[in-house]
Amino acid sequence: MLRPTTLAMILAGGRVDELNVLTYYRPKSAVPFGGFGRVIDFALSNLMNSGIEQVAILSQYRSYSLINHIGTGAAWDMIGRYRHVSILPPFLGTEATDWYRGSADAVFKNLDYVEYHRPEEILILSGDHIYKMDYQDLLQYHHAKDADLTIALLKVPLEDAHRFGVAALDDEDGERGGRILGYWEKPVQPESQWASLTVMCFRPEVLYEALRSNQQSSSFEFGRDIIPMLVKQNFKVYGYKFCGYWGYTRTVEEYWQSNMDLLGEEPRIDLEGWGFRTNLEHRGIRGYQPVLTGKSAMISNSLIYNGCTVEGEVRNSILFPWVVVKKGAVVENSVIFFNNVINENCRMNKVVADVNSSYGRNVVIGAEPGSTARKVTVIGWNNHVPPQIRIEEGATVYPNLQKSRWPAVVKPGEVLR
Amino acid sequence: MSRFKDALVLILAGGVGSRLNILVKRRAKPAVPFAGIYRIIDFSLSNVMNSGLRKVGVLTQYKPLSLMSHLGMGEAWDFTGRSRGVKILPPRTGDKDSDWYRGTADAVRRNIDFLADSPAKEVLILSGDHIYQMDFDAMLEYHRSKNADVTVGMMVVPKSEIHQFGAGIIDARNRIIDWEEKPKKPRTNLASMGIYVFDYDYLMKALMRDKDGIDFGMHILPHGIANHNVFAYPFYGYWRDVGTIQAYWEANMDVLRPDSGISPQKWEVCTNVEADGRPADRAPARFGAQAEVTRSLVSAGSIIQGTVINSVLAPGVIVEKGAVVKDSILFADCVVKKDAVVDLSILDKRVVAEEGCVIGHGDNHEIANRIAPTHLYSGITLIGKEARIPPSAKIGRNCVVDSNVDAASFEAELLGDGESILIPEK
Repeated sequence: MLRPTTLAMILAGGRVDELNVLTYYRPKSAVPFGGFGRVIDFALSNLMNSGIEQVAILSQYRSYSLINHIGTGAAWDMIGRYRHVSILPPFLGTEATDWYRGSADAVFKNLDYVEYHRPEEILILSGDHIYKMDYQDLLQYHHAKDADLTIALLKVPLEDAHRFGVAALDDEDGERGGRILGYWEKPVQPESQWASLTVMCFRPEVLYEALRSNQQSSSFEFGRDIIPMLVKQNFKVYGYKFCGYWGYTRTVEEYWQSNMDLLGEEPRIDLEGWGFRTNLEHRGIRGYQPVLTGKSAMISNSLIYNGCTVEGEVRNSILFPWVVVKKGAVVENSVIFFNNVINENCRMNKVVADVNSSYGRNVVIGAEPGSTARKVTVIGWNNHVPPQIRIEEGATVYPNLQKSRWPAVVKPGEVLR
Repeated sequence: MSRFKDALVLILAGGVGSRLNILVKRRAKPAVPFAGIYRIIDFSLSNVMNSGLRKVGVLTQYKPLSLMSHLGMGEAWDFTGRSRGVKILPPRTGDKDSDWYRGTADAVRRNIDFLADSPAKEVLILSGDHIYQMDFDAMLEYHRSKNADVTVGMMVVPKSEIHQFGAGIIDARNRIIDWEEKPKKPRTNLASMGIYVFDYDYLMKALMRDKDGIDFGMHILPHGIANHNVFAYPFYGYWRDVGTIQAYWEANMDVLRPDSGISPQKWEVCTNVEADGRPADRAPARFGAQAEVTRSLVSAGSIIQGTVINSVLAPGVIVEKGAVVKDSILFADCVVKKDAVVDLSILDKRVVAEEGCVIGHGDNHEIANRIAPTHLYSGITLIGKEARIPPSAKIGRNCVVDSNVDAASFEAELLGDGESILIPEK
């Protein structure tokens, strides 16, 4: 039968406090990544490459940037008779009177949409993670086990496990996976190293029933409520072991690190090899001319997208479209988002710079050039940093800062609003 | 409603452009790649789009496949929508055996049904093989203000070059009073850019008047100048006919110089990045730890580990460690392997320069290509699509290596200056 049987739902509503100014105006899933894309492109590209093309995106927080990015879905070939991307924002109705109260509530509020598609398996994913996975392999395991729920798990160091949903599982299928015996969301003292990737495949009837009974509760999260409930009630919940790269970018430091994983001789994140796709219509990056390097340009170990002009020095950095690095400027260990002008003799070391900003002459941000910066310095969007200013390492500058609020020196770790 | 600019646009994209040698072996001149991600016709199409014009016919004839796939539905230039459209107009067989387009005016005449359907008051006719930026809306305003039957875009060129153009002599009001097509002895330095605004009714009558008038420059314009109102519209910006290898190479190099006056980005030139069926969302260009890239254009999807100087790289070009690319133009997905050298050369798509080979060898730029001395004479070497240059090969200056050539076709390690390796057409 031609009609596809899998419905994928991407949880893309969340803002992450630790990502601070980067999620001031956009959900985490819409944070730029990889020199031209957004974080959610990983989930969408995985879906496309897995041949799953019925997709719904649950979005709540500041969704404009995300909606704009998804466009028609054509970028991921999700447009056609049985191929689509639908964005499902919160709504009011005779029954619904509230925002999404949690990930499970978001899916519950859209059950009519889900049931309409008569899926045989429902794949629920987070739009916030950086990884490549063939979901078909997970679906296969799910069917082989005739499971009610199959979740993807990754082995993490025990000392980090408290940050994740953690599952204890038996050795039923060795390297491939096993039955889940216990599940704890962010446990204080974790007993297992197997962390949930927030990739969950449900048997539809089980999901519907679980979501309905969850409505009586006061918490509505898949990790905290739905999965533990199903494990406790003895449903067939399986863990699918995943061993590839996984970028869990909850903090600015982690976000910066996963960007650095794009660099090097053999990058841990291989955009081309992973079949990474993004929407080139977003911000019109389709029409940007190739990178223009000037006669004094020095570029090493960096990713630079079309539309950039480099006359200065760029090392170990990622430049999104339309970044201008003028003569004498040095950008190192940094991630510079769309549309930034870095003027003459400006120095940046370990900086994440959000969109639409300019940096005056001789501005110095982060550690001294060439030295090792320990902390990431973050600059929010729409800032015009006046010439000569010194922003020391680990500082955070809020978006849209007024001209009069700039001090001569922003101290280490200072938050400038 | 004056906001509606309803002039009809016809782009002549049928020319062979044979002086571009093997670059036009399998594509029409307007479809030849330019400045990394563009094709020559993008400049005309973008000018049309940025002038607010919305109805376009593209007249094709010679090897149109590459051009047609590039145009697609016209989304790239915003030509899709209720009141917009781009139509490909290939030659059609009619009541005579030979219905190929015989000239510019003939091509337009054979699409008179396309013209007849249009409510336009003016028809803008341009060539699809020039690199320039121009506001056609301003030209249309000028045409109306002069009450002209025809307005011709013209610019000043050195007198030594006037023999390649239609040349016009104007009066104080810019009315053209005399015309010479490709004059041997220059009397003026005012050259036609092949851009014409015709009053719609005037064009229809002119095309019908004399069916042997097959060329605008040779027939329609001289008749109009002698009998009607033909005006020159002066143009002062960057404009190049990239119809020769030399001019093509120079215009590409101009993009690298900030003061040259050409800037696809500033001109808002749009292109269809998805031609060839390869979705063009390639990863950002990757610069390795030892990369040295100066004065160059580097497109997305390229991986540079070696040295690139003064060169234009299309998407997906790989330059390995120790390799040097200098003063060259590399089309999409070329690979320059370890320690190979590419100097003063143009490499068509997917050329592989194997480890240690040299393309553009030696210091003697003076020996012109023996087969095509008028195409290659300044030192530029041409490598055709998908050719593989074997590891120790050295290819001299002004050479041509045909598409799909591989090691088997190399008789010796050295291909001397001005020599060619051609595969006969089957």
